[in-house]
Amino acid sequence: MKKFALTAVLLATTGLAGAAQADKLDDIIASGKLRCAVVLDFPPMGMRDNNNEPIGFDVDYCNDLAAALGVEAEIVETPFPERIPALMSGRVDVGVASTSDTLERAKTVGFTVPYFAFDMAVTANSESGIDSFEAMKGHTVGAVAGTYEAIALEEYVNAWGEGSTFRPYQTQADVFLALSQGQLDATVSTSTVAQATVKSDNFNGIEVVGKAPFDIDYVALFTRRDEYGFLNYLNLFVNQQVRTGRYEELYEKWIGGELPDLTVQGVYR
Amino acid sequence: MFDYTFQWKQVLARLPKMLDGAMVTMEVAVLSMLIGIVLAIVLTVMRRSGSRPLAAFATTWVEVARNTPALFQIYMAHFGIASFGIHFSPFTSLLIGITFNNAGYLAENFRGALKAIPETQTRAGRSLGMTSSQSFRFIILPQMLRIAFLPMTNQMVWAILMTSLGVTVGMNTDLYGVTQDLNALTFRTFELFAIAGVIFYIITKVITLGARLAAARLFRY
Repeated sequence: MKKFALTAVLLATTGLAGAAQADKLDDIIASGKLRCAVVLDFPPMGMRDNNNEPIGFDVDYCNDLAAALGVEAEIVETPFPERIPALMSGRVDVGVASTSDTLERAKTVGFTVPYFAFDMAVTANSESGIDSFEAMKGHTVGAVAGTYEAIALEEYVNAWGEGSTFRPYQTQADVFLALSQGQLDATVSTSTVAQATVKSDNFNGIEVVGKAPFDIDYVALFTRRDEYGFLNYLNLFVNQQVRTGRYEELYEKWIGGELPDLTVQGVYR
Repeated sequence: MFDYTFQWKQVLARLPKMLDGAMVTMEVAVLSMLIGIVLAIVLTVMRRSGSRPLAAFATTWVEVARNTPALFQIYMAHFGIASFGIHFSPFTSLLIGITFNNAGYLAENFRGALKAIPETQTRAGRSLGMTSSQSFRFIILPQMLRIAFLPMTNQMVWAILMTSLGVTVGMNTDLYGVTQDLNALTFRTFELFAIAGVIFYIITKVITLGARLAAARLFRY
């Protein structure tokens, strides 16, 4: 009888402990659903096709991740500024949202190793006479609020001082609209976005004029900072995407050209 | 579900920047109210003028201002007007958008206030030898502004809150714009917006209480 009671207690406590310790990874597998925060205003990483369905590099990446986990993917559209609220309020499990892994942000969320890397291009209004990054000095320039390039560009503008103005807009579309109207003289965006936009013919009188001298913008997946189990899984997933050639395949499909290296020379991780 | 560790220290260090932003927010709101009141009076006079084109212009203004989103009005002030080659800075665009909205709503407030003033007062003024415009300026207008005073306070509060729409036209110096900039930098969303919310609340509360006190002193019979 005593033995039975002991077993019952043991079973009960392990049961309870098991329930209490189920982490994010367990939750996702158990729920059969992976909810990804994706920015759908950021071609070709995230956008919508003619049927209004989400497509893009990040969308495919989320689908791959869900397939690896054996669950169903759910794309949750989150504009750039809403990525963190979406994660913290539990509306999404992971951000596949071209998020730059800055140290400042890493105080709040947990980043994986980089899964993509951007370099930055300068796009100018043809009438502005701007032909390089340095020529932006003394002009009104802008970028999408909350992005890596916006933060970097604003620092340059502050350093340039009088005459130079920085303006953040809410969406990439607004930035290019303002640029083609001449409200902005130039903008810095990821070169993928710049090329895609200039090619699209949606905006007149703009051209890509050069590269911005920013550090390479490594972007990472992110989830809650304390979800080590899930972060571990995500890191391995990023590694496997490269190892299996899927990264190259997706790059060729959505961007094309030279594949960006995701490693930093001379240091671990 | 919502387990988030608040880090106030990291965010409170940026409070001075946010307070600077609050000053810009006040600046936009106060300017938009001052210009808005003048424009609203002009619109009111136009509607009473008996001239059809003037009345139609004023009515159109009021209709658009009251029946479209403020966001649309501000967006149009920036991107819409720019397609004709006229460029305004984010500050000016925001000011134009809110002023347009204020003028429309205030004109309606004034119309209501005028209804509360007996028509006989104008006639009394005329019978004392005032011209029609004199009786409007010296008898009707002061009463109209008095009756519409509290609704005007309401609009002032609304103007403060509307400044947060400035981010859509590239505004980054007002309270909301600064908050969003800091959010992009630190990802401390909840702390930053909680602080911004408190600042907005304090500003609007001070305005409403101040206006109520002022009204009690100014409008004693």
